[in-house]
Amino acid sequence: MKFFSIAKKDLKELLRDRRGLFFILLFPMFFMLIFGFAFGGMGQDNQPHNIAIINYDNGAILPGTGEHVNFGNNLTNQLKDAKYEESNVHIFNITKTTESKASSLMYHRDIDLELIIPSGFSQSIIDLKSMSQSGSITSLTTVNSSNKNTKSTLIIRGDTSYINFGTSQSILTSILAKMGNNIQGTTGAQVQDFIKTKIEGIGTKNLTTFDYMAPGIIVFAILMLAINVATILTREVENGTLNRLKLSKMTAFDFLFGGLLPWSLVVVAQVLILFAVALAIGFNYNGGLNSIILAVIVGVIGGIASISLGMIIAAFAKNPPQASQLGTLIAVPTSFIIGAFIQLPQVVLGNVMGQQFQIYDILPWTHVLTALRGVLTFGYGWNGIAYDVGWAVVLTVIIFAIGVFLFSRTRLSPENE
Amino acid sequence: MDEYVIEAQNLTKKFGDFLAVDDLNLKIKKGEVFGFLGPNGAGKTTSINMMVGLLKPTDGNILINNEDIGSVEKGKIGICPQQLVLWENLTCKETLMLMGDMYEVPKSELKKRVDKLLDDLILTEKENTLVSNLSGGMKRRMNLAMALVHNPEIVVLDEPSEGLDPQSRRVLWNYITSLRDEQGKTVILTTHLMDEADKLSNRIAIIDHGKLLHLDTPENLKKVIGEGDIVEIQLSNKEINSEIVKAIESMDEIENVAELDGKISIKALNAINKLPKIMESIEKTDSTVVDMSIRQNTLEDVFIHLTGTSLRE
Repeated sequence: MKFFSIAKKDLKELLRDRRGLFFILLFPMFFMLIFGFAFGGMGQDNQPHNIAIINYDNGAILPGTGEHVNFGNNLTNQLKDAKYEESNVHIFNITKTTESKASSLMYHRDIDLELIIPSGFSQSIIDLKSMSQSGSITSLTTVNSSNKNTKSTLIIRGDTSYINFGTSQSILTSILAKMGNNIQGTTGAQVQDFIKTKIEGIGTKNLTTFDYMAPGIIVFAILMLAINVATILTREVENGTLNRLKLSKMTAFDFLFGGLLPWSLVVVAQVLILFAVALAIGFNYNGGLNSIILAVIVGVIGGIASISLGMIIAAFAKNPPQASQLGTLIAVPTSFIIGAFIQLPQVVLGNVMGQQFQIYDILPWTHVLTALRGVLTFGYGWNGIAYDVGWAVVLTVIIFAIGVFLFSRTRLSPENE
Repeated sequence: MDEYVIEAQNLTKKFGDFLAVDDLNLKIKKGEVFGFLGPNGAGKTTSINMMVGLLKPTDGNILINNEDIGSVEKGKIGICPQQLVLWENLTCKETLMLMGDMYEVPKSELKKRVDKLLDDLILTEKENTLVSNLSGGMKRRMNLAMALVHNPEIVVLDEPSEGLDPQSRRVLWNYITSLRDEQGKTVILTTHLMDEADKLSNRIAIIDHGKLLHLDTPENLKKVIGEGDIVEIQLSNKEINSEIVKAIESMDEIENVAELDGKISIKALNAINKLPKIMESIEKTDSTVVDMSIRQNTLEDVFIHLTGTSLRE
């Protein structure tokens, strides 16, 4: 019955390490809260979805009446007014804008997708209506074809790996289909012969889901560094070597900044390895070599923020196992909070430099992730990501300063016990 | 007038309900080796950690050269902890250079100091060896070297001889003596080796349950339980030990008699002259003497006398 003795020993060790047990028990609770918050809508079933509409429709003259109509505007208004069934909640929050502005909004995930209404949209509707009434179909294969039937393509563009894109896109597609059926009436042509819907990924290249997810995966890997740093720093405490240093003239800044430098090299190596592996397994991105260089720089900033987070964790953990538990408890949920895998509901705190500032934006990794998406998915250069890189640097410095302060207070001052 | 380098005033430390150090008052003289003795869990390491500034006292003050420890410039104290506290993946030289840097020892001075320390502690041949590859004795000496590289005024050695062979211990003892006699340092030495404390210390404090029991020179401490010899007798029948103890107690000029570890321990002046009478009382019983020894009073006798024989921790 040795196993029983071992079980008893393990149980006692578990129960007696109360802090460790607390972290272990807290971990699933955090997960449940985050997923519940992300997917449960916190008690609200129906939420408006943020979409941008770019209307290139020139309008058209209605046959018979001679009236100038713009069905692009009509579609925009219908989407704007659409409400959930038996509810007063609008289905969409519509932003009417240009393609470049929509791209910027999508980069910051202020919108889930952009709907581009083409210039001949009204003419297509008129042709569809005419065809429905006459009950015959002419050539439908070319836009503005010789027999004057116009074929238009509505483009739904977005980050296809983004869960909110999936949701908004499916709702939008079903509403568009419903509207099409209403136009079609009882007889005549098929809507899809006149108006098509095309889903487009962002950027110039045809990206896979993995390509879209890669920035999130990179930031997740970078965040995990915090656990390693915390564990190694706590080992100095456990081994007593920190006590030796504590008696010397060394300051918390010396210790932590000294630690930051070699760890930064580790970050550089880790980010390079991450990109090398991603490229080796077929990672596609928008841009050239410069994009990769820019992405590495952004990744390193995120890595330094992770090292600083590790220092904060080490200020509280008493030994390496606790550091590992606390590190996991903080780093993993953080990766979800910043939107590495799922997007949490928008909680806007205000506007900074013309950009929405959400509660998640107080974490540097949110900006690192946004900047990485900008570079790799949207193909942005330095100018496109400067705002987020700036925030990432400022917040990293703040986290490092907090790390120095806390480490100095908890680890380099005389202990109470 | 004596110059005191460390003064503990009403030093108290509580861990929850447990009173680890209870109103301890000590004055340590400049340039002495101060022995700090006590059973396991007596509060020695806790007291020392407060004296060097690693642990915050619950109550009381620590003065270093009449200045509160909180405002004393760092570097006055060097500590060699009980356990080996080393960076296993640095070489001996790298370790000492790092510690010197941390104490802001000028580079030119530091190099000389490191070379001398390695030489004094017989580690020169291992200067470029990783600490992880050193023997136990060498690691102990490195542990000490790290406490000394910044040339501190006060050196705290917490059980420095733990696990050392007699040769290494001799090197260490000579070095501790030289720290005091040649370098004028104040050394605080905690140890469980009574001969070590006796041989090296100018004064010894014995504490138990966090309280100071006695503080004096080794010579005066030995007088605490009286001058004289210790006779230890082991009988064939241990069951009558208490009967014999009572019989001996009633004899004249016997200072102390007790049963210790199954033996009868008798303390008396000129014990040899008392032996015939003692043997007579034993012969009256059925038991015979299996073993007998006569020796002089030691510091260990004082320690046991003051702190008792029951196990701690």
